[in-house]
Amino acid sequence: MPAILQRSLAGLALLAAVAAAGCSSGSSKHSPPAHHSSSTPTKNGIPQGNVGDNDADNHGAPSDGDGNI
Amino acid sequence: MTGLAVLAGCSGPATTPATTPARAGSAPVVRALAARSAPPGWHQARLPDGTAVLAFPPSMHLIAGDVGEVSAARVSASGTFLLYLNSTPRQGAETLANWPVFRVRHQRKEDSVSVRMLAASHGVRFFGGTGTCVIDAYVTRVHANHFTELACFVQGQAGASVIVAAAPTARWASAAGLLFRAVEAYRVR
Repeated sequence: MPAILQRSLAGLALLAAVAAAGCSSGSSKHSPPAHHSSSTPTKNGIPQGNVGDNDADNHGAPSDGDGNI
Repeated sequence: MTGLAVLAGCSGPATTPATTPARAGSAPVVRALAARSAPPGWHQARLPDGTAVLAFPPSMHLIAGDVGEVSAARVSASGTFLLYLNSTPRQGAETLANWPVFRVRHQRKEDSVSVRMLAASHGVRFFGGTGTCVIDAYVTRVHANHFTELACFVQGQAGASVIVAAAPTARWASAAGLLFRAVEAYRVR
């Protein structure tokens, strides 16, 4: 890999890590993978209902690479 | 690489990544993305359509996901995602050119109440292809979980796919090294 590319990507990683650290929060509760349930209670107990394609990432899990809604 | 852009900072008072102070004890992992084989002992999972192979460390395990995808995660006993990897075949209008904007727009529409693009780069080399990568931080619509991800759209000869590597934002600095390593080992054809 060209040195300039390595330097650029290293910079990318540094900037992102610093930015992410600066933006971090005390997030503590994630939903486990859950699929195709009809509704999802939120922290305040109000049913969220279906959102997006209703896969796990629509229920508080990390977002997958699905390009569709 | 043909481009590197830091396009957004943190929410709240205007800041930029360059001016945002790193918290004590959260020294970032600084390392370039460079296509290289997975370390010995790592597992591999092939996309059902055969266009990509996701490598993941023994500390992670395969989890259920949408049809056609493969996902691996490290999840705490309480259900907290600590590490997350996902490979998904191209499903929408994403391209090498539009990926950073496409990804952020998709996040905002589907999953997140807020999303911030932190960096983006084009022309990233992968085994078997070329990719465009974006790093963004977002807050999920459900449970308001904070995640940071490295998400790359990778074009191979036989098809295109997306690899996502994510961790809770509060853990990103310590998780990034392993997640970047997994992205570096991603293979497409």
